Amino acid sequence: MADVRYYDIRCVRGETTLVDIDNGVIESAGTSFFDKAVIRVLGPKGWGILTRDHVDIDSKREVNTLVEAAARLAAVTQDHLDLADAPRGVLPVPPLGEDPRDVDLEEKTRLLAGIEAAARVAGVGNTRARYTEGIDAVRFLDSSENEYSYEAVRSGFSVVAIASRNGVMQMGSERDHITTGFNLRGKQDLGRKAGEVAVSLLDAKLPKGGTKRAVLDPELAGVFTHEAVGHASEGDLVREGASVLGGRIGERIGCEGLVIVDDPTLHEFGFIPVDAEGVAVQRTEIIRDGILSSFLHNRETLAAVGNGIPGHARSEHGAPPIVRMSNTFIENGNAMYDEILSECKDGILLIGSRGGQVDPGRGVFQFNAEYGYLIEGGETTDMVRDVSLSGEILSTLHNIALVGNDRKMSPGYCGKGGQSVPVSDGAPHLLLENATIGGRGE
Amino acid sequence: MNGEDLIERILREGERRADEVEVFYARGESVSTEIKKGIIGTAEESEAWSMAIRTVKDGRIGFSSTGDPDRWKECLDAALASGGLATPQQWGGFPKPANLTSTASSSDGDLVVAVEDAAGMVADLLSGAAEHPVEVVGGGANLARSYLMVANTSGVLYGMNRTVAAVSLEAIREQSTGYEFDASSFRADIDARSVGEQAASLAARSLSGRDIATGRYDVVLSPVAAASILGHVLLPALSGRNVKAGRSFLADKLGEQVFDGSLSVYDDPFAPGLGSTTWDAEGIPTRRLVFVEQGVLGRFAYDLKTGYRYGEGSTGSAVRSGGEPPGIGVHNLFVDGPRAKEPGDERAVWIHDVVGAHTANPFSGDFSVEISNPFWMEGGDLVEPIRTAMLSGNVFEMLREIGGLGKDTRRVGRLTIPSIRLNNQQIIGK
Repeated sequence: MADVRYYDIRCVRGETTLVDIDNGVIESAGTSFFDKAVIRVLGPKGWGILTRDHVDIDSKREVNTLVEAAARLAAVTQDHLDLADAPRGVLPVPPLGEDPRDVDLEEKTRLLAGIEAAARVAGVGNTRARYTEGIDAVRFLDSSENEYSYEAVRSGFSVVAIASRNGVMQMGSERDHITTGFNLRGKQDLGRKAGEVAVSLLDAKLPKGGTKRAVLDPELAGVFTHEAVGHASEGDLVREGASVLGGRIGERIGCEGLVIVDDPTLHEFGFIPVDAEGVAVQRTEIIRDGILSSFLHNRETLAAVGNGIPGHARSEHGAPPIVRMSNTFIENGNAMYDEILSECKDGILLIGSRGGQVDPGRGVFQFNAEYGYLIEGGETTDMVRDVSLSGEILSTLHNIALVGNDRKMSPGYCGKGGQSVPVSDGAPHLLLENATIGGRGE
Repeated sequence: MNGEDLIERILREGERRADEVEVFYARGESVSTEIKKGIIGTAEESEAWSMAIRTVKDGRIGFSSTGDPDRWKECLDAALASGGLATPQQWGGFPKPANLTSTASSSDGDLVVAVEDAAGMVADLLSGAAEHPVEVVGGGANLARSYLMVANTSGVLYGMNRTVAAVSLEAIREQSTGYEFDASSFRADIDARSVGEQAASLAARSLSGRDIATGRYDVVLSPVAAASILGHVLLPALSGRNVKAGRSFLADKLGEQVFDGSLSVYDDPFAPGLGSTTWDAEGIPTRRLVFVEQGVLGRFAYDLKTGYRYGEGSTGSAVRSGGEPPGIGVHNLFVDGPRAKEPGDERAVWIHDVVGAHTANPFSGDFSVEISNPFWMEGGDLVEPIRTAMLSGNVFEMLREIGGLGKDTRRVGRLTIPSIRLNNQQIIGK
């Protein structure tokens, strides 16, 4: 196989358990099975990639056949890629507090029903809760004789409450996902919170759009970090010329003292013991003291771009690895929450996240809060709903006026290139100057 | 044994342990070529196999799926176990075989799933993009063929072929980006060169946009922007499950004038489109469903489960994605109406696409999104780029009075939609 510079195979075999409860009705509760493999060959120029269901990684013959087929695909590629050397190693997987496999489906369903019932506070007309559990057995081997295997266990839920009155419908939602054990016990409080938020939003105002000071809570500030900085620092976008951060290593892009990190080693929802190319994972400081210092890389983008740290290749099962974030956050500063509010004086406090999106080439991002409060004279006043924030990557970090000291991480899923992977984001409370707030109030 | 023989075996084995059994089976192959640095960087080929089993016993519905034929027994056991936990409901049985007289074209006999063909499409994309001074930063071509089958213990055994050809291209000039795409069941529908040219043109022409002040403006949503905003709000509101659960804004409005009298919304599974089919994901014959006719709300979509539960009957609207149980969806949704006047004749802000449509509030219809490739439009022409801004509004209010539909209808995923003029909308400048 003269035309094969490198190959690897990654198999993920596992089970997904879902429980879906809608208004007290158990719609479904069950387990499904998958067994996916991705075979990559680096030919004289670029990658040939095969994806298959159910490959026997221990069969030398099967592996050889697949590698030959992938090599034939690689032959049509034209862009010459190289792979950088990168440190190897696999971290231990965090011990499981309680193994979800030791809890039967009936008990899971009962516990989820308890969370869903708790969301049904007075004024709530509809509740829905969903439990998601994934058990992945991962095996990897490559042509450089690296080989590893590990097991990833994820367990968590989401709960949504909808309150309605006189034709107005509002929603509250909460979620919690972990990689360290079973995660349905003692969580009724989150159900209740979803219900209470939905009801109070019935009386919330629509905010007026425009430029103003904004305070972001740790969850929303985490999404801000992810959308405004995280994606644009991904080495594949930088290599392709699709990120405004390309060529800006060493430049000041944020206020002094600002530190933004992606750290796959943390035992948060984005934890991985090793990346999808068998590279050791490590804490990566994207921004240090306001200066762009590292891109997130896989082996190929490290070779092409440099200025960064590898170990950020991730993939959904059955899909090829691409550069991804894991646990992304802004480090604590030293402002107290009260100080942030009083310094804001007049503006808007934004809480929770309904998601966000970025166009990293144009350097423009948008994300939406679950709700918020107006800030008047340094104090929170009226509740507001359906409010979003947009900004430009290159200027927005200079507008961070204060960084709080109360960082919190929130779990979620991030989509890129048609693949969804578990991540977490977080930050302390932030005060932003000149934030563009979208809302349709008059 | 991994096709019809296996289906038969599961049905017979399952029948001994449940009242009814259904198997949904899919296998497929696809190739794709991905652009890196303006040339082909990656070539990918995939084969997929999956089987989903549903069992019904005393009105309790069980479900499981697997990607491994050797695990079919485990999968059947899991489906039965899952049924043991589900809340029992009204159930009138899986469908019996029907005489499917309609036709739907979802498969292109000439489409070859070959990497060389996908590479040829990339060459066309790139030659189109080369007409403008831009860098190509992403995109590619994809060719796929799959075979889908549904079978149940009432004797249904339907199979269909489906093909897809798809291309996309992303271009950049300085800090101005452009993205275009197209997908069809038929290879000949795809003009890759034109898609590449359009993406590049957007990037090139959006450069040096002028600021826009916050205020109210007449806007024209391109089919892409309209599909993006409507897709996240209108589609869930038409689902019978959301309606009955009190999660749809349209729930209590049957027979009412909900939209502008010129707007109609219907699902046509027999029209050419990515979702064309004569039977739905549960083996129910599909039909043309008119949800909104000249602004009046006429009906909602149901699958078997929701239909039986609420005595509404399935509308043949079941769809499947991934390894999940079937749910309510649309096959080929059309937003349509008479074209009285070109929407771009009078000065307006034309919006190609939006960033963050998925953050819209699906229950109230409120949204505020960043807009992509906005231009001042005059006499139907894009005359001057706008730098950046947000658009805020409410989907249901917006559609109550529209300023016209364009002749530029195009397919965006499962939606077929023209550009829509909306007067007096709120834009937030920077």
